[in-house]
Amino acid sequence: MSTTATTHQTKWWSGGKSPFNLEYGKLMMWYFLMSDAFTFGAFLISYGSIRFSQNFWPDPNVVFNAFPGAGHANLPLAFVSVMTFILIISSVTMVLAVHAGHKGDKQGVIKWLAWTIVGGIAFLSCQAWEWHHLITGEHAVLVDGKLDIIGQTMGGNPWGQLVEDQAALTAALNNTSHDTLIQLVHSHDHTHSMEQLAAMSDTELKGMVNFAEMHIREKGPIAFGGYFFGITGFHGFHVFSGVIINIVMLIMTQKNVFQNRGHYLMIEKAGLYWHFVDLVWVFVFLCFYLI
Amino acid sequence: MQHPAFEEVSFQHHTDDAEFKRRVRKTTILLSIITIIELVIGLTIYTIHKGENPNHTLVLMFKGMVCILTLAKAYYIVSVFMHLGDEIRNMIMTIVVPLMLFIWFIAAFIWDGNSYKNLRNKYDKHFEETTMPKQHHKVDEHPAEIKTGKE
Amino acid sequence: MSEVTHGQSGAVVAMPVHHEHGHGHHEQSFISKYIFSMDHKTIGKQFLITGMVWAIIGGLFSVLFRLQLGYPDQTFPILETFFGKWAAGGHIQPEFYYGLVTIHGTVLVFFVLTAGLSGTFANLLIPLQVGARDMASPFLNMLSYWFFFLASVIMLSSIFVHTGPASGGWTMYPPLSALRQAGDGQKIGTDLWLIAMAMFIVSSLLGGLNYISTILNMRTKGMSMTRMPLTIWAMFFTAVLGVLSFPVLLSGAILLLFDRNLGTSFYLSDIVVNGEILPNEGGSAILYQHLFWFLGHPEVYIILLPAMGMVSEILSVNSRKPIFGYMAMLGSLFAICILAFLVWAHHMFVTGLNPFLGSVFVLLTLLIAVPSAIKVFNWLTTLWRGNIRFTPATLFAIGFVSLFISGGLTGIFLGNSTIDIHLHDTMFVVAHFHIVMGVASFFGMFAGVYHWFPKMFGRYMNNTLAYMHFWVTMVGAYLIFWPMHYQGLAGIPRRYLDKSGWVSFNQFGDLDKMITVVSIIVFAVQLMFVFNFFYSIFKGRKVTTRNPWGANTLEWTTEINPGHGNWEGEIPEVHRWPYDYGKDGREYIPQTEPVGANESKH
Repeated sequence: MSTTATTHQTKWWSGGKSPFNLEYGKLMMWYFLMSDAFTFGAFLISYGSIRFSQNFWPDPNVVFNAFPGAGHANLPLAFVSVMTFILIISSVTMVLAVHAGHKGDKQGVIKWLAWTIVGGIAFLSCQAWEWHHLITGEHAVLVDGKLDIIGQTMGGNPWGQLVEDQAALTAALNNTSHDTLIQLVHSHDHTHSMEQLAAMSDTELKGMVNFAEMHIREKGPIAFGGYFFGITGFHGFHVFSGVIINIVMLIMTQKNVFQNRGHYLMIEKAGLYWHFVDLVWVFVFLCFYLI
Repeated sequence: MQHPAFEEVSFQHHTDDAEFKRRVRKTTILLSIITIIELVIGLTIYTIHKGENPNHTLVLMFKGMVCILTLAKAYYIVSVFMHLGDEIRNMIMTIVVPLMLFIWFIAAFIWDGNSYKNLRNKYDKHFEETTMPKQHHKVDEHPAEIKTGKE
Repeated sequence: MSEVTHGQSGAVVAMPVHHEHGHGHHEQSFISKYIFSMDHKTIGKQFLITGMVWAIIGGLFSVLFRLQLGYPDQTFPILETFFGKWAAGGHIQPEFYYGLVTIHGTVLVFFVLTAGLSGTFANLLIPLQVGARDMASPFLNMLSYWFFFLASVIMLSSIFVHTGPASGGWTMYPPLSALRQAGDGQKIGTDLWLIAMAMFIVSSLLGGLNYISTILNMRTKGMSMTRMPLTIWAMFFTAVLGVLSFPVLLSGAILLLFDRNLGTSFYLSDIVVNGEILPNEGGSAILYQHLFWFLGHPEVYIILLPAMGMVSEILSVNSRKPIFGYMAMLGSLFAICILAFLVWAHHMFVTGLNPFLGSVFVLLTLLIAVPSAIKVFNWLTTLWRGNIRFTPATLFAIGFVSLFISGGLTGIFLGNSTIDIHLHDTMFVVAHFHIVMGVASFFGMFAGVYHWFPKMFGRYMNNTLAYMHFWVTMVGAYLIFWPMHYQGLAGIPRRYLDKSGWVSFNQFGDLDKMITVVSIIVFAVQLMFVFNFFYSIFKGRKVTTRNPWGANTLEWTTEINPGHGNWEGEIPEVHRWPYDYGKDGREYIPQTEPVGANESKH
């Protein structure tokens, strides 16, 4: 981008004009984003503070290793990289929409905004799948001398340390409920159906449990789930509102509101918001998935 | 040239189409490459963790690298996609300078979080025994934070 | 400059707004003129009056719990008549006491001294003093008030729920505030408190963004940043503080809501309540305090800076002298603004905070003494050998300086971690922050109301009542809070409803009675002020000249009762700074007057 006109002798601060050569709306949007950065910053820094106050923290590569349709394959970082790219690409399409707005190209704005919305919805769908997968996941954990099957929720975390003590596991088996035993066996034995397993006695089931094929852990730090769902949820909420904003912008463009107004500055402001959502994701990605 | 709708705006940016497209393409590629490097480092950390006796210094170094790469990504998004780089210098400063507050914000919070851990390990032996990672066993994972030293 | 400052405005995302800029020349309905008004002056008055209502409620609460503190053995059957089970047998019940203390703190800090003070005067003064027709976005400005109103309604409703309002103290520390089982006040009342605060944060954010962009973008020609009155600078830094620190409280509040309602463990660990072991594990209660005080400390300056700005302006106008050290004033405002963000953990020295980290916070905290001292010095030198007019506003401004000095000095005690360990959570702290932040800011607010009342309503307030108001409040404030220092040094803890169990504290019994009696008198005098305010709106002496105080700033160049749009014709251009008083043999030279050829330089 290049700037024309008299930039040299302008007294920016002398009043009667914007010192930054920006209309107030964009200025407000920027400072709102600053403020929002502190909201997200506070969340992420709290997460860091809690994480540093723990002796043990789950390895993200162990937690986030699933991919839709890939069953139990161990694919760390794969799905989240797809999500990241979706968001980067949607950011690029937003840049193009803003650019089309600069040129007053209504069709261009519509086209690129539509793609941005598609990207946003795709990202939200990915997040929905990931949440669903974590919450409904079945992981064997050793709790209070018995085995249990839990998922990753706000109040429970199955990603503690691996249990090495075989004797403790065997002892725990005796206190484990029938339903849990069925699930334990079912998780690595695919020759029997659930109905068949359900018909078996506890002793039979215990004989079929194979600890070597299972990674039985202790319960992990509870705060992990709270922060993960809290922060990705808050980010997802931003993506969601961004999509709504973009849809409104799309409709307004379609109805020639900006055409009649003579400028597409609203698209720029929506664009700033959308890029900010992408920016936050960069940090969420770093804090939860990479380190 | 004054802006048609906003009196306070003195001139408008003019964009050269080809130049702009080139810049967007370049930034997109850059962001993708950085992300891929980050993923590679992430997988490297995973592999180190899986091995016998993971080297914590190495892990920490890799994590530091990812942080720096993330900052680079943030720089490109803000500067190019959000066009902050095209604004007047003072405008850039009003955004960048307040962000400096994050330095002390992060440092103090992390510092105190770490201190809380040390205090608990010292005075709450049950906490230490139940949560401290066992040192000598085959692991496929490890705690993210490794310092367990005394205050 | 044309008639329309900002023709078309886009407002925020997804909210395309077309607002009319008729500038008061067209007929407005009652609703659009007084209720859903987009005129910054009306919105300012709305903030002020809502703030006054809250101040009466919060003040009344303090009278109630002072009754308990002063007369713990006495029964007041009338209380049972009004409050039923909360004051069974004429005794204030413990739950009621904690609720009163909590709501008193919350309401006065946030609803009165944040919204009522900066909401009022930033709205009223920013466009008038920088020379703008209205705020950058009048629509968002209106929303800002209505979010505040919504927050008020929620907070007020929490007082009337069956289990009572939030009662975990105004800081709402977990684990107490996070556990429903912990008591009646921790039930729905605390949820309502948190939701009300979230709404309040939205309101203050909308307001703050508007103030910042108006000050930056909407200044009239010639109004460079260093020609702005100090009031505007103070409002500017206040807004910056709010925009950057309130979101952190929002995060803290959201996490607390999660802990309360979704079973997370952000702040909770190893807790047994009523014999029940809770499953929460791994959280840190200190974390909440960090998040809270990251806002909480800047909040102190959000409250204080507007008062400082107005006091600077009022002292200069009424001592008919330029403000002493304009740039030093500005620099110290800036320094305070920065330091405000760096010192939050000095509220947490006894929480288990790392002692070495604490020492860093001590150092940063004590640095604040430097800009504060500069400001005090400059106010005193502005008054020095001035031709002072003792209007009610001047008196309150001088009172502000006095209180700021007294309260600021005890801040040095508390900023040192070694002394704070002894004084923490005692009446000494109560005395300190009430003087330096509570009463001082109130004095700034009163000064502002008396000084700009003619601009707001085109009438004067009654002077006799105003002087009575000042002297009683001034003497009363010291009588109430000065003894609390001694109580605190002797070890009396704050927030306790009955300390008769400690024999050594019995010696303070009569002192407590005295404080209670004085606080009732002071409260009554505030009601007199409220009466004066509303009476003068309708019956006060009319203002007959545009510039009754002989001031230089732009608001006095408008009509006596300016319409929406503020100036009839073009917005005046500014040629000089606002403090040319007593210069070249002239009493005052308005900002709009071009610099003469032979004029001396300042």
